[in-house]
Amino acid sequence: MLPFEEQVATDLVEDPNGGLVVLSSGLPLASLVATLLLHLRHQSSSSPSPSSSSSGGGGGGCFLILSAPDTLKDQIRRRLLESQLLQVHDVGPDVPAAQRRALYNSSADGVALFLTPRVLAADLLTSHLHPSRVGALLLLAAHRASDTSSDAFIARLLRQRHLLPVYAFSDRPHAMVAGFAKAERSMKSLYIRRLHLWPRFHVLVAADLERSPPEVVDVRVPMTGPMAGIQAAILDAMDACLKELRRTNKVDVEDLTVDKGLFKSFDEIVRRQLDPIWHTLGKKTKQLVTDLRTLRKLLDYLLRYDAVTYLKYLDTLRVSEGVRSVWILADSSHKIFELAKRRVYQVIRPDGTKVSAINKGTPTKKRKLTHGGSKKGKETENEDSTPSKDDAQKVNALEEVLEEAPKWKVLRELLQEIAEEQRKGDGVVHEDESSESGIVLVACKDERSCLQLQECISKSSQQVMREEWEKYLLGKAELHGLHKKKKKRQSQQPKGFGVLDGEFPAGPSENTGPVSIRNLETDALLAAASGISNLTKEADATDDSVASCMSGSVKGKGKGVSRKVPKRKASNRKTNSSTENENCQGTDVEASGKIDEQSEIDVSKVSAKDASGPSSTAHNAEDLIDAKMLPPVQFYALDSDQHILDTWKPSVIIVYHPDITFVREIEVYKAENPSRKLRVYFLFYEESSEAQKFESSIRRENEAFESLIRQKSLMMIPVDQSGRCLGPTLANEPEPILSQNSLTRNAGGRRPTEKEMQVIVDMREFMSSLPNVLHQKGIRIIPVTLEVGDYVLSPLICVERKSISDLFQSFASGRLYNQVETMIRYYKIPVLLIEFSQDKSFSFQSASEVGDDVSPTNIISKLSLLVLHFPRLRIVWSRSLHATASIFMSLKTNQDEPDETKAMRVGVPSEDGVVEDDVRAENYNTSAIEFLRRLPGVTDSNYRGIMDGCDSLADLALLPVERLAELMGSQRGARTLKEFLDAKCPSMIS
Amino acid sequence: PSAAATQSKNAILVSNRQKGNPLLKHIRNARWTFADIVPDYVIGQSSCALYISLRYHLLHPDYLYYRIRELQKNFKLRVILCHIDIEDVVKPLHEVTRTSLLHDCTLLCGWSLEECGRYLETIKVFENKPADSIREHTDNDYLSRFTHALTSIRRVNKTDVITLGSSFGSLSRIMDASMEELARCPGIGERKVKRLYDTFHEPFKRVT
Repeated sequence: MLPFEEQVATDLVEDPNGGLVVLSSGLPLASLVATLLLHLRHQSSSSPSPSSSSSGGGGGGCFLILSAPDTLKDQIRRRLLESQLLQVHDVGPDVPAAQRRALYNSSADGVALFLTPRVLAADLLTSHLHPSRVGALLLLAAHRASDTSSDAFIARLLRQRHLLPVYAFSDRPHAMVAGFAKAERSMKSLYIRRLHLWPRFHVLVAADLERSPPEVVDVRVPMTGPMAGIQAAILDAMDACLKELRRTNKVDVEDLTVDKGLFKSFDEIVRRQLDPIWHTLGKKTKQLVTDLRTLRKLLDYLLRYDAVTYLKYLDTLRVSEGVRSVWILADSSHKIFELAKRRVYQVIRPDGTKVSAINKGTPTKKRKLTHGGSKKGKETENEDSTPSKDDAQKVNALEEVLEEAPKWKVLRELLQEIAEEQRKGDGVVHEDESSESGIVLVACKDERSCLQLQECISKSSQQVMREEWEKYLLGKAELHGLHKKKKKRQSQQPKGFGVLDGEFPAGPSENTGPVSIRNLETDALLAAASGISNLTKEADATDDSVASCMSGSVKGKGKGVSRKVPKRKASNRKTNSSTENENCQGTDVEASGKIDEQSEIDVSKVSAKDASGPSSTAHNAEDLIDAKMLPPVQFYALDSDQHILDTWKPSVIIVYHPDITFVREIEVYKAENPSRKLRVYFLFYEESSEAQKFESSIRRENEAFESLIRQKSLMMIPVDQSGRCLGPTLANEPEPILSQNSLTRNAGGRRPTEKEMQVIVDMREFMSSLPNVLHQKGIRIIPVTLEVGDYVLSPLICVERKSISDLFQSFASGRLYNQVETMIRYYKIPVLLIEFSQDKSFSFQSASEVGDDVSPTNIISKLSLLVLHFPRLRIVWSRSLHATASIFMSLKTNQDEPDETKAMRVGVPSEDGVVEDDVRAENYNTSAIEFLRRLPGVTDSNYRGIMDGCDSLADLALLPVERLAELMGSQRGARTLKEFLDAKCPSMIS
Repeated sequence: PSAAATQSKNAILVSNRQKGNPLLKHIRNARWTFADIVPDYVIGQSSCALYISLRYHLLHPDYLYYRIRELQKNFKLRVILCHIDIEDVVKPLHEVTRTSLLHDCTLLCGWSLEECGRYLETIKVFENKPADSIREHTDNDYLSRFTHALTSIRRVNKTDVITLGSSFGSLSRIMDASMEELARCPGIGERKVKRLYDTFHEPFKRVT
């Protein structure tokens, strides 16, 4: 624990209302929470009277921790276990109620419980947990709190009955400043008075972290020419999109800068501004927003993916986005595609001139792919190949570029350098500290990069590129093979491998004269692809029998490879390295799973000792030397969000993809272990968006803190006389309709002293905020598990609530139909509530989207069908949560209060199988009717006839088909039904 | 005269009061004709609709109530077709919702005249359409239909379905089985036996 954490905790416990802590991301939230819990524990044990709320802090009882993600839970638990003062329990939703109750009540001496808001809210409302049993409430995602959030609901439920401190934490300062006076409003909703800001630049924090800082080496890697070109083009395209977006006059211009566009939160900014008017926007504006996201991804992937994968991604983009996108047609996007290609391959005419005009020389090795040798041999086997084919091949000569990511080389060099140093100072390190692991940690953004880097180190980077390239080509070949198959189904080609051998493009394009560059490229690619796929098929061809079938050969490729490898090795030396690659591809799928684990545990394969690994045989001598020199390397994916520094204790960290949160984690780790030696390398691409993004994330956080500091000085938090925070004010809410309409004659419009309104709410509904808002309006919430409906307002009124996305989903699944059907069966006034979201547009679709025809899939059609089939169903359209609450209240006037036990029984059959309160159950055998209606041949229009004509299902089973036809009014229906009833059940038990 | 009758049966009847409503322009997928009727629209044998725009409702808050009262109980489905044509909807929509709910009407909202028109068309076009497209889908093979039917009985699970199928051989045999036969099936307890037997042997309509 660092000294400043102690200070944070002491500051917090000063105020009996608790406080809100906002800290820089990456600062140790878990250990802070643990420290605070220990403080609270200490306090409660020193002041024995649990009800003495004035003494500050909670007295005794349990400490509730809400919405902690699993990784954070683990860390907090670990910290608390060290001290052994506090019990920790994780109370998931699957823990039975009785056990939860025991946990709440048993431990008088302080226990920390991790809870989900849903469970806690229900337990408080049912009094399974009495608020006085709670010592303090800790919320770990304060940026998500608003006056309708479940966190706020719980805070209110607790504070109404018992004064206890609420401690809220957030490590996302920029989220705390999103929206108007966000911090102030969330504090009010949580009954918190004090805001504690702990930015990285806070004096105490800075002092702690900078006491013995790690040794930092900043490595700036220059990007290759094409990379820089692509980056510039993407930024250009983004700028163009932003300009377009500004021109629509729909968004606040100030927020729209390319700088902000680098972050994910940019989408949120734009969406927040556009959501209320989303349905009025034209297609183009919507497309611009999506385009910006696509471009940001492209920028990100440019630095993260290797050249081939990047090209592949672009290819898929081009196919999937097609004509819809705005950016894809712009000039700059053409440049992106061209340059991306240039990083991978180059098409050359037979006379040696390069096909494309723009060709910037790249520093990487170029190698010419020679089809000749391997190809010729193949052709002799395939006698029926066309004579023109040789020409075609020459035209389409393909030069591979296969540019490697510059960071790869740097990483390798770094590792060698580190190994060198470690060897030199070997003895010293061991004497220094026994726990010194000598582990080198490489931190990447995602798992994918980890795996690839690992391969780069264990094999050679050229080989990794080669494998990617071959995968790419095979993918191309397969795609074109499919195209071909579709187009030329009728004229089955007699030759062996048609497309894959490169004959297909040669045909039409050559006959029509001048060939476009694009065609040339495709030809060349396919030729190269066939070169590779031929290797795999060679063996197939020799024992040829079904090879004339094209699809067969494509399929055969995958299976064939591993089987045939040894044979080919013997016969053809030249293809050796390629077959090796094929081999790898074949086992890729299984291997990836294993590699995953490998990256978790010590990667001993990569370490120096293990030079005779199975994979090393294929490597050339240079690689082997490299491998020997490398230190033990661990890979860590930042996205996995695990906190591994404490467990792995690395002595060198290479930050391959810089990330501000991780930087802070390193700082904290070093500050906590000042004696340990730690060197950190940062790998930045020079003048890249990566560096820019890193810098602006720091700037953004600082700006957020500055804004919070300003807000803090202006904050107005209502406080009552005893210094308690009053929380959200309900005064500005509109009066409920009923009081507006009440006559002034009636005691001057004074509100009648009414008894508390009640609403029965299904447990599952606690995921939503509606129970919270209803509670705010002074309605008593009774949580139970309901079989039918979501809310029961009165003995007559039952409501099924659907948010818009729910509505679409449950229409699609057919669930809504069933829900409405049962609701209608048991309640006199069944209601479907369609609830829109306050900050989204209030409509299903814009007028232009309605279309010209009645389409069965449109929401209008589905709703129409629903009301046609259930004319008794009432529909409530609500603009927002708050509107729903006031509609509920107005519907409840003049109605009796609902009965909890009765509502719970609805739809649940009693012992004798009769469903209570079923309005039809007295007169009908509902279960039999349902069964009948599910039989084939029985329709909505003929089931009544059947019921009239026979007494029961048993009767029905015996009726002859003629009689059935009479009842059903259709020969065909009767036959279908009879056949189904008498059909022999397939024997289902083997 | 009979030709006119069938024609009017296949068309949406529009009250003369609706003359001049721009909504009529958007009814294109169904025929419509003016007629002397109480509701604004008659869109089927037993369905009718009243049209109201929220803007109008703000000016004449009582209008809707009186129109609904006129309707009496002649229609099974009574739609209030509400055109949302103002920005601040919460209060007027609340009133329209309350009025239609308390007077047994189904409220449908449209945000444009196109949408409102489409509701009328669709209800007319779908008048006799089964609800298949909004119901759960079952596969058409024998086993799924067999399972679908039997699991409609409460607490009968997929295992029970297989047990029943293989013990009796066909659905009609199951439906005609005696209590004792049912009870002999493994995994089917006393209560399930009774529920199955009752479903099959109790008459569809109970004698009152």
